[in-house]
Amino acid sequence: MTWEAVATKEFRDAIRSRWLQGATLVLTILLAGTTGVFFGVILGSEAREISNLFGIFINLGVFNFSFTGLIGLILGFIALSTTYGSITDERASGSIKLLLSLPNDRQDVVIGKFLGRTAVVVASVLIAFIITFMILIATGTSLQLGMFLPHIALTVLLGIVFAAIGLGISAGADSNREATLSAMALYLIFALLWGAVASGIPRILLAATNQVNGLSLSETTQATIALGLSYLNPLRLYETLAAQLYSSPATARLVTASLQQRALLAPQFESSVPPYFSGWALLVVFILWVILPIIVGYSIFERRDL
Amino acid sequence: MSAIEFDGVTKVFDDITAVSDLSLRIETGEVFGFLGPNGAGKSTTINMLLDFVRPTTGTVTALGVDAHTDSVAVRRRTGVLPEGFDVYNRLSGRAHIEFAIDSKEADVTPAVILDRVGLTDAADRPAGGYSKGMQQRLALGMALSGDPDLLILDEPASGLDPAGTKAMRDIVRKEADSGTTVFFSSHVLEQVEAVCDRVGIMQAGELIAVDSIDGLRETADVETVVSLTLDTGDVDTAVDMISDIEGVDTVMQSGSQSIQVSCESAAKTTVVTKLDTAGIDVTDFETESASLEDLFLSYTDDNHTVDSATTKRATNRSTDISTGSSETDEGTAEQ
Repeated sequence: MTWEAVATKEFRDAIRSRWLQGATLVLTILLAGTTGVFFGVILGSEAREISNLFGIFINLGVFNFSFTGLIGLILGFIALSTTYGSITDERASGSIKLLLSLPNDRQDVVIGKFLGRTAVVVASVLIAFIITFMILIATGTSLQLGMFLPHIALTVLLGIVFAAIGLGISAGADSNREATLSAMALYLIFALLWGAVASGIPRILLAATNQVNGLSLSETTQATIALGLSYLNPLRLYETLAAQLYSSPATARLVTASLQQRALLAPQFESSVPPYFSGWALLVVFILWVILPIIVGYSIFERRDL
Repeated sequence: MSAIEFDGVTKVFDDITAVSDLSLRIETGEVFGFLGPNGAGKSTTINMLLDFVRPTTGTVTALGVDAHTDSVAVRRRTGVLPEGFDVYNRLSGRAHIEFAIDSKEADVTPAVILDRVGLTDAADRPAGGYSKGMQQRLALGMALSGDPDLLILDEPASGLDPAGTKAMRDIVRKEADSGTTVFFSSHVLEQVEAVCDRVGIMQAGELIAVDSIDGLRETADVETVVSLTLDTGDVDTAVDMISDIEGVDTVMQSGSQSIQVSCESAAKTTVVTKLDTAGIDVTDFETESASLEDLFLSYTDDNHTVDSATTKRATNRSTDISTGSSETDEGTAEQ
């Protein structure tokens, strides 16, 4: 197994990328800058608590916004762009011939690239948070580490998820163009279109069950399916898991839900959140987003003639 | 034990048969030259050896193990200079060598390798800024890390200046002398001629000839032209005498004291010896010998994709009769 050699090479290579250096800067400015403005200017000293920025989730039904969600969008993009070309670029340039002439098997390549590139993404996230920490301390903000540290961990995990998705795309794609288009399309779906998918599928199911046997899905069932589908989106997973650090699971689960879903499901969730909507269950889905893209990508890459 | 063995290997890409029923065995310690025009299937063959692509049918064995299922074991003992590779632009030359050493789990310091391929001064610069020749040497350095038992060089001279080509050849010779098997693909024919024990010629996916270079010359029926200038003796007598020699095709008087003989390569020395015993002094002796290019063309005659450059006829000139039959590099180095 020579994945260490590949990972070291990847780390050294990716960390010298101007793009990634710039991305780290953007992430740092966003995170530390917003923190500085919020806790240094906007909020009075009595309100300077982590939860008053990172724990605020605005949901107007048709539109929802949170600082955490914004971090997710930007970090997801950065992590995806760090990996989606990592194998197809090497195939296009020919450097993969050096990589695979050496005694690295394709599994070493995929694992090594994943670890090396992920390490760079994680480093980038940690740099942004370290600077943010300095600003938090300078502004005398209450750190609430019990919430904030798990939040950082979730943010790191989000970076890893998108790095894994990008790597899976790169391993599975047959060309740079295919990888670029797939990564862009997937990002657009996660960032913008997932809601339509999540609410559309229950409607299709409803129509289908009506056709087949005249049965009808109850509105609550439809809402449950739609909510469940929305949490297959890693960006939504990140938001709801982060929200749970600052509020109850019931509130956190509905943090990005539509008004209708909220009305239908809130009473049920208040009494008890179903096990498949528990934080742990969603954490498992989140982690599956790391493992599955890599396995699928690898299994295609393994069989491919280069 | 064979170092490399192709056994009935065919590779089909979509509708195109890149390699067709290839069977070839290369012995340990051999320097094998692999020739053919572009698109002949050389790279596909090498790519199958390295498990970049997998045979449609047939098996490839390298260093005693299956080249597909045990590819890592093969590559651990193999140094490869791939064709059409690229370096990692942002990484230094040293980082490249370190990566090769780490991957091979080899016990050598990068400095030794960098020195061997002459990149010590440029070691800490990003390899993206290297010239093509330096990148080629860097890849050779990566190939040499870990003291390989098998060296696979795919078009190693591409992008190299004459000095670089010579340095490359010296390194190949040195590796071969230390017992490394070398599998060497090229269309720069004099390179193959200069270092290879045996040569295989590939065309349109098929191996159409495998032999030593001398053997190929004989089989290919490519004739050598010898020009002689006589000091003493009668030209007509000499012409008659030479005509009787076996292997001589035509003899012609080309000047008052000169003769032009067209013959098989092996008959050259007989011509000179026979004149010598008859007491006829030869003052000047020139051979225009069948170069590998001629050989190559005679084998790939119906293929018109061959570079016009390779059709140049190489001429060896020598006034020293005793070594007149031996090939020197000068004539062919002009390319």
